[in-house]
Amino acid sequence: MNWKMSRVVRTVTDVMVVPIIVFGIYLIIHGHLTPGGGFQGGAVVASSTALLIIAYGSFRDYKKDFSSVESIGLTLFIFLAILGILLGATLFYNFGAGTGGLFGGRVAEGINPGYINTGGTVPLMNIMVGLEVTAALSLILWMMAKSSDSMEVEA
Amino acid sequence: MRKIFALIALLVIFAFMILAVVEMRGEDGGFGEPVNTDMDDYFLEDSQPHNQVNNVVTAILFDYRGLDTLGEATVLFSAVSGVLTVLRKYQIKKLEVKK
Amino acid sequence: MIYFILQLLVLFGLVITAAAVIWFKDLISAAIALGASSLILSLQFYLLRAPDVAIAEAAVGAALTTAIFIFAIRASQREEGYK
Repeated sequence: MNWKMSRVVRTVTDVMVVPIIVFGIYLIIHGHLTPGGGFQGGAVVASSTALLIIAYGSFRDYKKDFSSVESIGLTLFIFLAILGILLGATLFYNFGAGTGGLFGGRVAEGINPGYINTGGTVPLMNIMVGLEVTAALSLILWMMAKSSDSMEVEA
Repeated sequence: MRKIFALIALLVIFAFMILAVVEMRGEDGGFGEPVNTDMDDYFLEDSQPHNQVNNVVTAILFDYRGLDTLGEATVLFSAVSGVLTVLRKYQIKKLEVKK
Repeated sequence: MIYFILQLLVLFGLVITAAAVIWFKDLISAAIALGASSLILSLQFYLLRAPDVAIAEAAVGAALTTAIFIFAIRASQREEGYK
């Protein structure tokens, strides 16, 4: 991993990385209001990682960071699912809908744009799945880039 | 001869699929209207008063069919595990240097 | 009518890019043609009113798959066939 692309590619990458990450986080957080969600937003954020790796090519060892974030996201997702059983209902029960806490607002009936403080556990699960998908796809890209350079070609 | 048998089998399967699509149309005769809409109507009516979610697709993905999303996340996790297992060559080199 | 013409153009572009993937002998050109085909497929998903699938297809198919194919081609050879 010690190539470097031209100055044009690096400048366009510097300009475009922050809007791509902000758009991905918007897709994750507004998953219960607009089209999108955890998987789509995570894939968009991971594509910014692909852009950075292809343009710059030299990175320090991010493997443990990505792996920890992925494991934390999946564990919190399963914990939120099991919390439905512990609160006296079924698996994946939406225990936070309309209770007035975090993301506990009430929506109006019919077609409306909606508020962000609604949805119960659905936005929380969106954030967890977004963390998991971002870290997993970034880790796959990072490992492929790392090992594509040190691999010997068999003649 | 084998190609003729394969062609006949493909034509029979194609005819049955066309027949299934023709049988699937609504009572008004239009192709656009689906017939069995009980689950669709339940999700469309129930996702706002019960789950307080405006986006019905997200309500299905993360609440009604949450176990599917858990399986998808598990598939991604096992894919990452497979990639880390296959491409661990440079770590083996480091271990051999330490010996 | 404009919807029909737009969908016809998108389907023709899909067929042309999918033929270009098979026709190229240079593997990096084939990978980029596959990314273009995936982008046109996401436009078709958007025209069929499935914006969720369109976002997922554009992010995964056009960005991540192309990057992974390019890394794999870097680790092997660039031309198609044995040498």
